[in-house]
Amino acid sequence: MNSRISIVLARVMIIGTLAAAAVIAAGLVWYLSAHVGEAPGDHIFKGEPKYFENPVGMIQRALEPDVVGQRRSIVMIGVFLLLLNPPIRVALAGAGYLAGRDRLYAAISGIVLAVLLASFFW
Amino acid sequence: MNEPIFDLAVAAASFFAGLLGALIGLGGGIIVTPVLVLGFGIDIRYAMGASLCSVIATSSGAAAAYLRDGISNMRIGMFLCVATTIGAVCGAMLAVVLEQSLLAVIFGASLLATVILSLKKKSESPLLPAESDPLAKVLRLPDEMPGASGPVAYGVAAVVPGFIVMWVAGVLSGLLGIGSGAFKVLAMDRIMRLPFRVTTATSNFMIGVTAAASVGIYLKRGYLDPAIVAPVALGVLAGAFVGAKLLTVAPVKLLRSIFLVAVSVIALQMIARGLGISIG
Repeated sequence: MNSRISIVLARVMIIGTLAAAAVIAAGLVWYLSAHVGEAPGDHIFKGEPKYFENPVGMIQRALEPDVVGQRRSIVMIGVFLLLLNPPIRVALAGAGYLAGRDRLYAAISGIVLAVLLASFFW
Repeated sequence: MNEPIFDLAVAAASFFAGLLGALIGLGGGIIVTPVLVLGFGIDIRYAMGASLCSVIATSSGAAAAYLRDGISNMRIGMFLCVATTIGAVCGAMLAVVLEQSLLAVIFGASLLATVILSLKKKSESPLLPAESDPLAKVLRLPDEMPGASGPVAYGVAAVVPGFIVMWVAGVLSGLLGIGSGAFKVLAMDRIMRLPFRVTTATSNFMIGVTAAASVGIYLKRGYLDPAIVAPVALGVLAGAFVGAKLLTVAPVKLLRSIFLVAVSVIALQMIARGLGISIG
């Protein structure tokens, strides 16, 4: 792994985290603005709706006007951006190894990426 | 209490958990979960989901800084991530079938173990490259790190035992929604005998990747409630950032002693909660 890739990787990680945090913060403010004066009912476990399970569901829900869960979907898109960070990190590292003709570590990165993707799309 | 105030209080508490985590070198995740459960009455599953997201956020920030400095050993990190990600998937699957009360007990016990691990002294002198495990040489794990007078080469011991302990660290991460940094450091520092700086830096890189392996399963089980994840992730991230800045000026030793006692009490309360005993 050469230092150029490390620096690119570091930059991608910081930008990715900040972008995700910004979307989460914006979604949270928008969501809370609709719930002023309501009692918090979130601490009792009831699972989450199906449309939060995958990014397509979140985005559809976020784009539909005045639907239940629209504002929360913005937060979930931010959370999803956050969760994308580690797989991107691994994929970039793998690409770096591949570019450096390091087959062993390209393969190891590939295994880690496969486990991550499998857990997401189970 | 109304919802915006509740969320603000959760964010403030998460900020302090992140700050504390950064100052005493425990992850924010292992502190924030008991705070949410014991302090706010949030279901442990939602608390674990939110904590795991905060772990991904802080680890990305911290790992970026270390990567830039060239201290992280990316090969070791990636190789051991095979163990931790597979462990994390196993742990997350176990978490969805275990009783909540049992989770609380395991959580408390792990928190106590974390405190004990962080009290122990760091390993003695690092290994010379020539003394490395033969498997480490095949995998090209020994590397060098920047030192005061040029690069310092170091070796890597006990690859297989280290890999197995890393798997266990992954299971704990997925099972409890924590970064399990203390257990990763245990594997790299004590067992594989890596220099402490390399251990810390590499562990930060791994924590986020490990957490990402179980968070997909949490997501599908409905553990990620946006209204809890958002204030927790933002709060811990901000707290960890400020904590890292304060690290150079704060009386770290004194803070550590005070907080380790406090964290032990929280751990015992978690265990008591799981066992259905109500104390203090």
